[in-house]
Amino acid sequence: MDCKEVSTVLFLFFDGEMDDATLTPFKDHVGRCGDCAKQVDYTRKLLLIVRERTIRCTAPDSLRHRILTHLPHRRNTAPGPH
Amino acid sequence: MTRNSEDAEDLVQETYLKAYRYYDKFEEGTNFKAWLFKIMKNTFINNYRKKQQAPTLSDFAEIEESFENQVSEDASKPSLKNPEEELLENVLDEDVQRALDKLPPDYRMVVLLADLEGFSYKEIAEILDVPVGTVMSRLYRGRRLLEAAMLEFARDHGYLREGEPVKMRSRNSTAK
Repeated sequence: MDCKEVSTVLFLFFDGEMDDATLTPFKDHVGRCGDCAKQVDYTRKLLLIVRERTIRCTAPDSLRHRILTHLPHRRNTAPGPH
Repeated sequence: MTRNSEDAEDLVQETYLKAYRYYDKFEEGTNFKAWLFKIMKNTFINNYRKKQQAPTLSDFAEIEESFENQVSEDASKPSLKNPEEELLENVLDEDVQRALDKLPPDYRMVVLLADLEGFSYKEIAEILDVPVGTVMSRLYRGRRLLEAAMLEFARDHGYLREGEPVKMRSRNSTAK
């Protein structure tokens, strides 16, 4: 595997989608190539930022209530003593 | 997906109501969350088309092209330079969100499903009704565009003054 191929399959590695036949030469190359090791490190940071720093919204209670009141023939599935 | 909370709430409501109505179509043993997202994606696209008076695919392509032109200069540069890594470390949360919002719809959807919802390529392919290869290429391009936009915003904010690199928090070992 060369540097260009590493760059192409880099995301597969972080997404856990890389097959074993690719994983071995990938790790082998990155272990030997300083530039690719840097690229791996940089990509890890990039993905962490996207995953951890995107603003997440929690659905407000009012939405939950709105959905439940709109359900047709609502079944009694609410948790509780009855 | 909708870029504003009011539309997002309406979309979630419509999705849940449809899921309830068509629950008998859900195949037991398959991924329920992926099924819900598929309904959500279809509902979103249908509503979008109604609002836009049935845009053709070229509308998406146009948005995409204009966005790509805007960031192509950044995207074509290798992302290994130290200043870019340093810029990345100083990106604000708002920049990440803005960059994500700015992505063309097809790319944004794939990035959201992979990076925020944690779906596998196969699940995303099923949700979006596209081949796994398309998921992979959109994800690659989408993340690269996202990266370029985040760096652009960070640069615009002037986090890094020219010729004066920002010290990285974890690598400041020489300045004891």
